[in-house]
Amino acid sequence: MSNKVAIIASNGGLFDAYKVFNIATAAAASEKEVAIFFTFEGLNFIHKQGMHALPMPAGAEHFAAGFAKANVPAIPQLVEMAQELGVKFIACQMTMDVMGLSTGDFIEGIEVGGAVTFLEFAKDAAPSLTF
Amino acid sequence: MKSKLQLDAKGLSCPMPIVKTKKAMDTLNTGEVLEVQVTDKGALADIPAWAKARGHIILYQSEAAGVITFLIQKV
Repeated sequence: MSNKVAIIASNGGLFDAYKVFNIATAAAASEKEVAIFFTFEGLNFIHKQGMHALPMPAGAEHFAAGFAKANVPAIPQLVEMAQELGVKFIACQMTMDVMGLSTGDFIEGIEVGGAVTFLEFAKDAAPSLTF
Repeated sequence: MKSKLQLDAKGLSCPMPIVKTKKAMDTLNTGEVLEVQVTDKGALADIPAWAKARGHIILYQSEAAGVITFLIQKV
């Protein structure tokens, strides 16, 4: 049985962020080795400013009250929790180049790599998930 | 059986009850018991699934007035 969970975060909305970090933290809390590859809009989740202002899907703004009522942790809190649990964050170099971003734009403790870096981790992971 | 440690995870939603249970369990020795209280209904399925994956034993489980209590023995 694989003890690795590989996740690709390629969308940058608030709902996408919850899907990624809930699965990642739950897996890490179950002693799985977890890596997330942040590519394209997914880079928002680890961007110093972007992570605090993730957009709701259009027309879903009314769910804001539901998030507050359910006492759902904020994304920056889940990001910190994931890092504390040892989840590896890999930022996509190519996307960073396209968007003109450098490591200084992101939170501490991330790795920068390409598709091969992620694939090397994911080759024996189960499940591999894409959000 | 008496618990060594009590964890109040009431009012927290997924994935925090699992994350906090894991962290609390990390502080215990083999054979010791953790008492967890949650209100997240998802935990009804999640905590037993987590314990099974880790090999820990659910000694007791109850639900009263919306509060779910688990006694989990570390293996």
